[in-house]
Formats: sequence, C-alpha cells, structure tokens
Amino acid sequence: MNRRSFIHTAASVSLLAQAPYILAQKPGRKWRIALIGSGWWGKNILKQALASGQCEVVALCDADSMALEVAVEQVNELSGDKPKRYKDYRELLEKEKPDIVIIATPDHWHALQTIAALKYGSHVFVEKPTGHTVNESRAMLKAAQDSGRVVQVGLHRRVGPHHVNAMKFLKSGAVGEVGMVRIFAHGGGGREQPQRNSEPPESLDWDLWCGPAPKRPFNGKLHPGGWRNFLDYANGTLGDWGVHWLDQVLMWTDEKYPKRVYSTGGRHIAGAAVLNDREQTSDAPDHQVAVYDFEKFTCVWEHRRFAENSAEKHKIGAYFYGTKGTLHIGWQDGWTFHPSRDSDKMLHEDSQLQQPDGHNLKILWDDFITAITDKKYPAAGIELAHRSSVLPLLGMISYKVGRSINWDGTKEQIIGDPSANALLSRPYRDPYTYPTV
Amino acid sequence: MTLHRPRVNFFQSIVGIIALLLIIGHGLCSAVHAEDWIQWRGPNRNGISPESKWLNQWSDGGPTILWKATVGMGFSSFVVSNGKVFTMGNADNSDTVFALDAMTGIIKWKHTYPSDLGDKYFEGGTTGTPTIDGDNLYTLSRWGDVFCFQASTGKILWTRNVQVETGARVPSWGFTGAPLVIEKMLILNVGETGLALDKSTGKTLWQSSTKEAGYTTPVPWVTGGKSQVVFGSGQGYIGVDSLSGKEVWRMKWVTQYGVNAADPVIDGDRLFISSGYGKGAALIKPLASVEPELVWKSKVLRTQMNAAVLFDKHLYGIDGDTTEKPLLKCVELATGAEKWSDSTSGTRGLLIANGRLILLGEKGELIIAPASPSGFKPTSRAQVLGGKSWTAPILANGMLFCRNSRGEVVNVDLRTAATP
Ligand SMILES: NC(=O)c1ccc[n+]([C@@H]2O[C@H](COP(=O)([O-])OP(=O)(O)OC[C@H]3O[C@@H](n4cnc5c(N)ncnc54)[C@H](O)[C@@H]3O)[C@@H](O)[C@H]2O)c1
Repeated sequence: MNRRSFIHTAASVSLLAQAPYILAQKPGRKWRIALIGSGWWGKNILKQALASGQCEVVALCDADSMALEVAVEQVNELSGDKPKRYKDYRELLEKEKPDIVIIATPDHWHALQTIAALKYGSHVFVEKPTGHTVNESRAMLKAAQDSGRVVQVGLHRRVGPHHVNAMKFLKSGAVGEVGMVRIFAHGGGGREQPQRNSEPPESLDWDLWCGPAPKRPFNGKLHPGGWRNFLDYANGTLGDWGVHWLDQVLMWTDEKYPKRVYSTGGRHIAGAAVLNDREQTSDAPDHQVAVYDFEKFTCVWEHRRFAENSAEKHKIGAYFYGTKGTLHIGWQDGWTFHPSRDSDKMLHEDSQLQQPDGHNLKILWDDFITAITDKKYPAAGIELAHRSSVLPLLGMISYKVGRSINWDGTKEQIIGDPSANALLSRPYRDPYTYPTV
Repeated sequence: MTLHRPRVNFFQSIVGIIALLLIIGHGLCSAVHAEDWIQWRGPNRNGISPESKWLNQWSDGGPTILWKATVGMGFSSFVVSNGKVFTMGNADNSDTVFALDAMTGIIKWKHTYPSDLGDKYFEGGTTGTPTIDGDNLYTLSRWGDVFCFQASTGKILWTRNVQVETGARVPSWGFTGAPLVIEKMLILNVGETGLALDKSTGKTLWQSSTKEAGYTTPVPWVTGGKSQVVFGSGQGYIGVDSLSGKEVWRMKWVTQYGVNAADPVIDGDRLFISSGYGKGAALIKPLASVEPELVWKSKVLRTQMNAAVLFDKHLYGIDGDTTEKPLLKCVELATGAEKWSDSTSGTRGLLIANGRLILLGEKGELIIAPASPSGFKPTSRAQVLGGKSWTAPILANGMLFCRNSRGEVVNVDLRTAATP
C-alpha cells in the first residue's frame, strides 16, 4: 500500500468513527477535503468539489468567523456535510489531516499554507498566483516535488474549452508566424480617495489575516477581496489578471521563460498612495505596461483602471499577432480570429463558462481528482503554474526598481542586479519564517 | 451637472402648464402634495404608490420624457416633495445632494461635500436615498456624513459624521439605508442595531454596538401596541424598541459579506426577509426575547438589493445577484410557493401602482404589467434610459423618475392629463 492510499484509508477509518450515518450511505469513497480561505473564490472551488460527488468537506478555515459561517451554511445546504470550523490552519491540518486542502487565501498566505498542507500529506489545490514573491513560489514547487503530492493551481484558463480550442487553432499554424503578443485587462475607475482606517470587523482576526506580511492599519478597502490592489498582500492587476494571460502565452510557446523584463506604470489617475494612522488608499499601479522579451517574440502586458471606452473592442484577453492574422482569446467573449486578408474568413467560438463569475473550475477540479487517482500530471500543475506565476512577479520587480531586469530562467536569478535580485524574497513579519528552497 | 432639455412641442408645453397650474392649485390647500413620494419605498414604505391615475399605455414613440439631467455616479433613488425631486450622486470623489425642479429638472439647489467614490466591485457612488420630513431633507453618506437641509432652500440646519463620532464600523460598501423619521427621532442603519438622533438638532438619543450594520433602511413596525424598528444588520435581522433602542428580537441570518440589504417586508405580525448571494428568503414571526418563529424558509427569492413588494398576498421581487441574469418572480407570501418566474424583463427595480408592476430593467427598459399571480403579461414597454440601472423607479404626481448608475436621470411623464 503506498502512502497516499494509506492516508485515504486511515482517513476513512476515523471518519467511520465520527460519522457512521454518512458512511452508511456512501461507503468510504469520498475524499476528505478542507478549505483554507473561505471567501469568494474558495467557495466557488468548494462548490465544484461537492458537485463532483467525490468529496466530503470536513473542515473550513478562515481568519474571519463571519466568512466561515456563511461557508459552513453553504456547504451544509449543498451536501449536508457539517464541516468543522477553524481559525488557525495549522490546527486544522494537525487535527483533520485532510486528503485534499484547497487554499484560497490572499496571495501573501499561499506559500506557508501550501507547504504546511503538503507536510501533512495532503494534496493541494491552491489559487493563483502561486506565491507573492518568486522565492516563495520556488519553495512551494520544491515542497510539492519532495512530497509526491499533487498540487493543482487555479489557472482554470488552462482547461477552459474556448482557450483549449483557441490554442489548438493557434498551434495549427492558422495564425501564421506569431511575432508579438499583447495581453491586457482594462476596467473603469478614476482618482482614488483615501478611506478612513477603522476597527477591523468584530469577526476578523486582523493580525492573523496579515500573517507574514506587514500589518497595515485595518481599512475597509482591504477585506474582503480589496487586498488585490495592495502590494503588501498581492501584486495588483498584473498579479491578479496578468497571471492568467501570461499563462496562456506559456501554454502556447515552447519557450519556458523570457530573457528580459521591463515594466513601467503608475498611479497617474488614482493619485499618490496614502498610508497613515488616519486613512489609506491602495498602492498598486492604476495602469502598467510590462514587456517580456522572449527569443522568438515579444509579449506586452497592459492594464488600465480608468478611461473605460467603446473604442477598444475587447477589454480583457490576449492578441496573438501572426503573419496570417490576429487571434483574440478573451473571457466571456470567447475567441475570434481576424484574418489579415479580407478574402479569408473570420472565425469565432463562444466561451463555455460556468456562471456566475465566468470560470471553468469544474473541469479543473475533475482534472485534479483524476491526476490524484490516476497518478497523472495535472493540467495546471505546480511546475507550469510556478513558471507562469513568476512572470507577473518579475514585472512587479522591474516596476519597483524602474529598470529592465535580465532573467536567468534556469537558475531563477536576476542577472547582474543585486538590489533587484533581493526582491525575489521579502522579509517576513515576526514570528513567521520565509520558506526556503 | 449637465441638463439636457429635450425639444418640447407646443401641445406638450401647454399640457405642462396646465398640469403645473393644477399642481400649484393643489399646493394651496396643503403643504405636501397629496402624491408626493417623501421617503424610500414610498409614502407607506412598501414599494406601492397610492396613485391610480397614470398612463400605463402609450403610442409607439413611448411616453414623453419631460426632462433629463445628470447627477453623478450612484444608485440613490429619489424623493419628491413640494415640486422638487431630490437625489444624490458622486463625481470627482465628492457627493452632491441635488434638489431639482420636478417639472423642469432645473437645479434649485445643491450641496457638494468630499466623499470617496468607493468603487469596490462596482462603479461606486452614492447608494443611499434622502428622506423628507416636512421642510427638512435628511441624507446619510456611505461614510457616515449626515445632513439635515432645509428642503426648500438647501440651507444646512445641522450636519455630523456619525461614523467618526460613534466609531461604528463601516460595512464593506458603506452605509446605505435611508434615514427614517419617527416622531422626534432620525433613525439610521449605523452600528449593529442602529443609531437614533434628535431630528432637529442631530444630537444622539441612543446608539448600538459598533458591529457592522447591514444595508437596509430601518423599517418601522408597530406590534403589540409597541413601536419597533427593524434593521437588516451585518449578521441578521434585528428588531429594537424605537424609543430606547433596546433589542427585542433577533433572527440570525448570515449572508456573504454581511450583505443583508433588502428591507424586511411587513405583513401584520410576520416579516418576510430575503438576501442575495444564494442565501434565500424566510417568513418569520418575531416574538419578544426568543428566536423568531420560522414560518417557512427557502431559496425561492434571493433579493440582493431592492426588497420585494407585497401586493394582494403575493410578493413581487427580483431573484438573483447582479452577477447573474435577474429573475422577476411572484411568490405567495403565506407559503413561499412560486407563482411565476420571468427571465426576460431584466428587472432590477420595481414598484406597484394601481395593481400594476412598474419595472425598470437593468438596461433601462420600462415595462408595465399587471401585478397578478396568474402570470407575467407585459402591456407596455419603452426604452427610457441607457447604461445600467439597478435603482427602483419612483412615481410622484404622475411622473416616473428613473436613473442609471452613471447618474442619468429621466422624468417620464405618465400624467393622464398629457393623454391626447
Ligand atoms: N482563478 C481565478 O480566476 C480566481 C478568481 C478570484 C480569486 N482568485 C484567487 O483566490 C484567492 C482568494 O481570493 P478572493 O477573491 O476569494 O478573496 P477574499 O478576500 O474574498 O477571500 C479570502 C479569504 O481568506 C481569508 N484569510 C486571510 N488570511 C487567512 C488565514 N491566515 N487563514 C484562513 N483564512 C484567511 C480571509 O479572511 C478571506 O475570507 C486569491 O489568491 C485570488 O487570487 C482566483
């Protein structure tokens, strides 16, 4: 008996003691799963796990007891499962030793929680981007490799039907030779007014939420969800949206990494970032350009959080510019091929997303379970996802230092620039320890 | 603010003048126009207009748009009193409270104060609706600024920021409920179970814990001879004694992000409560000091924002979040049985007048249909706005006021006097 099936059986035995009723219905077949970070996206993943009919939710964890209550109620309504509630993920792992752990916390928590879950022998489904800094992501990769467990990352565009079909079309040569890719995510917005800091919600353990990251004064802009635009906890739009489209680029190209990255941008419309005892704004750039130099093509990222308009046809996605035409891969708008020659036919395929929120988590979850049972490599496995996650993080380093960085993708080092290289890691707040490779 | 004055033909302007005379004549006998809409959800706070004479049919060109105006980003609805219509909007990180002439859309007065757009997962802007009490106009901003204006002149009678002063936690999307006036009190959904101010001075009369408020308007409820106020709070629906602010009962009701936003709907000794984000609805019978009795609970109606309207034993409401296609539903109050469901209208806001549903679709389509459990059978339609509308329209003196998120306002003339 290998270790994995041992854990599974052992788990079933303890389950039998706790919940004979459920077992009587469905004898010992289900994966015992737990969710860390029971907010918006975590619950979306959980829904698919339950829909698969192969999972039982044994525990939920969140630093906010309100988020926890909502999630517990939802699980209970969906499956009748009565998951235990935890605030501290370490306690959850210790007591429950789940077969599978889903991690959907803000980005600054992904690394420590993934590594801990792997240590307890769980398979992990962790959200994108893998890490908040490059060396966290490397440590996650290493821990995954050492553990022999399956780690799937939430890059559902890897398996989304219209993405997969667009990739087939692209790789067939129908677009010709592609020399440039433009990827982007645009939205509306304007000047950002500081919001007054306040007491954290009564239900929230703010110190735990901040964890290894700097502890800002609590502000309603941060939680839930708003942390995306605070660089202490995430990497702005490039980290949030850019990672999906950079991942599409890596899905297409044979190259594994770019050789040089340059990024610029700022808060010219949002205004200077504010942080003081009284009030704060976010601090991520409201617009940004990042150029990724690959051997055979150039990739440009662009985002803007202002000047929403009808001049630009697509707000989100990727343009692959080829000698035979331009392929747009989008989100809700599917993919469209605009041929260079008027005589050629325009081609289009609609998206096939799960609603609300427009995703393909079901396919990604089923792929994850198949990878575990059939010992296959998952579609958005940690190796691939690590490489895709590194790209926005490198973009942010260039943005911060204000110059191009040369990337040695085999050693995962920035060449000849010690101060930029230092940003591959960051100091952790006491008592947390930065994970090592 | 830009004011678009549509071309008005001679006939319409004559009719307009006649109507104006009628209204002025009316105004002589009473300080308040009989069919003013002075507060959120209308004169009886139930989403039903008492008006019976209004145009529910029109020619292909649609009803006349009396005027258009722009008031800034937001979702605030309107109140109408003494010939003025009041609403709010945000531009350049400032809120503006507008008093527009109801007949012409001309600005009578306005007041602007700094206020964050607060565009967290939506366009942002003002979300609360003003309240009229006599010649006073009360407003509450998302960040706790309370104003008492003289409605006729715009003079500020008093103002305070109740969030800063009480330390009440700001719920994720800011304070939203419209102020409620009960006798001498101005009651706000700020703090876990509200805050009461002296309506003439702004002085605090009672306050509650600083835990998160919900997003409903405080709803007055007289039961067992006692006056209560019911709040949708961060973690449930809670009834308090209106004089003391003391909690009388509480229904635990956890919703994603603490968004209990739809006003409870009162039917005698029972309350219908409902929230979005997949939560669902319940009919409850609150009892003093114990958990309310649960009459039924189901997912039939998940109202994320605008509360359902109860008419003739049936609820008419919107099921589904703004991230989904909205379903307009008719649900029997007593049982929770769904009578019909419609996915075509795109309704986000509604009211009922003279037994008819007046619906405003997300994309600005106005639809009239009988409010009947026997089915959804629209009788008239007109495109009155572009953009995105989540705000319930209101009907006052035969004029229907609608807005979209960008703050484009239209006055749709449904006065029967205008019928050729
Ligand atoms: N793949 C996708 O398309 C997609 C879409 C949305 C979000 N996401 C990812 O999902 C993750 C979560 O995003 P969200 O939008 O749900 O954010 P959210 O803020 O709604 O939820 C995060 C939750 O984590 C909790 N949390 C914080 N620290 C914790 C800790 N130490 N232990 C337990 N819980 C903790 C928070 O209290 C919160 O409830 C992010 O990594 C994000 O990038 C992915």
